[in-house]
Amino acid sequence: MESRTKKSFREHNKGIHLIKRLMDCTIGEKLKVLRVDAGYHAKRRLANLGIIPGVTIIKRKAAPFRGPIEIIVKGSLLVIGRGLAARIIVLPENSK
Amino acid sequence: MRIIKSVKKQNKETKKFKSIINIALAGNANVGKSVIFNQLTGLSQTIGNWPGKTVEKMEGNLNFLGYRFNIVDLPGIYSLSTYSLEEIISREYIVSEEVDVIINVIDATNLERNLFFTFQLLELKVPMILAINQMDILLKRNLKLNFKKLEEIFKLPVIPVVAVHGKGVHQLLEEAIELVVYHQPTSHYNQDGKKIHEELSHDDRKIKNNSSTKNAFQFPDLYSILTYGKEVETRVNDLIKNIDSYSEHFSRFNYPSRFLAIKLIENDEEIEKMFKANQETTYIIDLAENYRKELEELHGEDINTIISSEIYTNIHKIIEEVVIVKARSEKRIVWAEKLDHITTHSVWGYIILILILIGIYTFTFIIGNFLGGKIEDIFNGLSSFIYNFYSENDLGVKIFWEGGVGGIFGAMGGVLVYVIPFFLIIEILQDSGYLPRAAYLMDRFMHFLGVHGKTIIPMILGFGCNVPACAGCRIMETEREKKISIALTSLIPCAAVMTVVLGLVGRYVGVTWVLVLFGINFIVIIIVGKILNKILPGECTELIMEMHEYRVPNYSVIIKQTWIRTKEFIFKAMPIIIVSGVILEILFMFRLLDPVNFILSPITVYWLGLPTITGIFLIYGILRKELTLVLLALLANSMGTSLLGLLTPFQMIVFSIVTMLYIPCFATLVIIAKETNWKYALQIAGLEIGFALLIGGILNLGFLILTNL
Repeated sequence: MESRTKKSFREHNKGIHLIKRLMDCTIGEKLKVLRVDAGYHAKRRLANLGIIPGVTIIKRKAAPFRGPIEIIVKGSLLVIGRGLAARIIVLPENSK
Repeated sequence: MRIIKSVKKQNKETKKFKSIINIALAGNANVGKSVIFNQLTGLSQTIGNWPGKTVEKMEGNLNFLGYRFNIVDLPGIYSLSTYSLEEIISREYIVSEEVDVIINVIDATNLERNLFFTFQLLELKVPMILAINQMDILLKRNLKLNFKKLEEIFKLPVIPVVAVHGKGVHQLLEEAIELVVYHQPTSHYNQDGKKIHEELSHDDRKIKNNSSTKNAFQFPDLYSILTYGKEVETRVNDLIKNIDSYSEHFSRFNYPSRFLAIKLIENDEEIEKMFKANQETTYIIDLAENYRKELEELHGEDINTIISSEIYTNIHKIIEEVVIVKARSEKRIVWAEKLDHITTHSVWGYIILILILIGIYTFTFIIGNFLGGKIEDIFNGLSSFIYNFYSENDLGVKIFWEGGVGGIFGAMGGVLVYVIPFFLIIEILQDSGYLPRAAYLMDRFMHFLGVHGKTIIPMILGFGCNVPACAGCRIMETEREKKISIALTSLIPCAAVMTVVLGLVGRYVGVTWVLVLFGINFIVIIIVGKILNKILPGECTELIMEMHEYRVPNYSVIIKQTWIRTKEFIFKAMPIIIVSGVILEILFMFRLLDPVNFILSPITVYWLGLPTITGIFLIYGILRKELTLVLLALLANSMGTSLLGLLTPFQMIVFSIVTMLYIPCFATLVIIAKETNWKYALQIAGLEIGFALLIGGILNLGFLILTNL
């Protein structure tokens, strides 16, 4: 267990300036989920739908007028409100 | 009690059938569950409510191979937690005595997500069949599944299905028979199993089971795929031990102790209640809490993330084993992609949304008007025929004909003809997958009203009928959002209001005024949203919603659904309309309406500038809003004039806006009270009456000033 934490910590450090909020990523980007900083219910819901640390997602679309974000996770499409997308912390995949 | 009842029921019916098998269809939203349900049950379906709940319950039945199948289509959900009422209802129902077998419908093109739910179902240890749907699309994407392997892993029947073509659908029932009769699954895909399976399928001598299928069923040992990591597993096992020592207390809840243990560690409020119900078991809650904290410390994540990722890890292993990639190129449906792009576009998306709303109205109105006119002609023709036979002064005939028969024709020609095309178009929108796109586009704007984008879905449904639409507000996740959504939806001009507005203002005043009235209506919606957003405590939550690819709507599902909804409407609404027609006719004849009108006259006559008689119409309108127009027309008929002889154009405008806003109809009020409470329902009613009188009065004053200039 410890090794896993350390490893992710190292990854953190390595890409610290690349870590972004899902909200701020460009469309089409492949992203690795690092953290979800939401409340209990939202977090459980997202976890059930497969948005858990370590999972790769793709930002597919952003709705006009600063609306919600559409992502591809585990092969299905998911729409997430912008406020929540601000609390999903990701690392672009190609930046390794 | 329940067991005895169901056994009795079984005994009564088994004379005709070999046995009764109760099936529940479970799965994510949009996996083709309803298509399978439709294929199996056809027109025998009924829509009801779960006892004491406002969640819709779809039921149907069929006879197959000498068995009676009762099938329930559970709501589409993603998990068996307590995220929504639907999840709680589903899991309680699945473990109840009312279910013998569950059919878990799985979308082959979205295996990972779908299997997450399957894993939760497996923990309930109920006889289960896995139906892997949309195999045709999977093939088009150059992928294949190893069914033999799947069955080896799950040790339960795994059946490929193409629901839209009816492929494999009835095989699901054959499997159900087998599970019920032999109490254990047999493999189809290895040679030996196949042979045994075929022999078994053609042999039903052994059928004699009065004991419940669930109790007799030997649920396979799936420990190898359901286990979590060591840290979690040791703690769960310890909880199970503790739970099992109180098995007397827990057995009545029907949940396996492992399920209880997992849910308890996950902090599930509903499951905790079961532990609180007995003084002696409350300590297990504390124990679970300790374990949860330990685990969260250990993993540096919260418990739901830990458990979910363990499940997803297990699923991932299975996927690697069973999915066979034939070629790397993944074909997507081009037209669906294009349609998706244009309907979520920053300009075209909104234009299309508006066009669709206009389209709903025009389609409903054109078809409704055409059919309504035909029905009216028939009634008028028959009327003159009848009155040729009997004198116009014959009271009995008049009550029977004008009230009774007239009521039936009025309900058909004035309401039903509009409701049917509306249901049809809504089903098409729902089945094609458009509605979530509207939520996606409108999310940002709905936040102004204190709710997220999903509210737009019940609001769009509200254009047809506020009653199911308000019930549909349960898709909102929090109490606060549900309350706001209900209030907003109850203000949407429904098909009934639309008939009044179009039938009065549209027909006699002009389209511009129709648009003005709708404009006023939407401004009121925004104001009410703003007010509630301020008043109600709490904050707006964020949208989390699955989006599906567009697909060609399945016409048979759409037609059946439309028919079933119409049937519901006929049985629920028509009697009220007919009875009120008769009562009104009697009231008219004996001039019993005068006092009511007199009491209301300060409002109707002096403030709104309407004729005295409209007071009672507005009271009737609380029952069903289109009655205001139907009754006006009846009155005009009996006075031998048209509506123009009864109301001036200005009065029509005021009357329409008041009808639009003044109160949600009685049925909507009941639903609102059920979903929230009577206090809130009456508050909404009060607020809306206030708005109606305020705006109606202002318009009336405006007209007075204009005409006197």
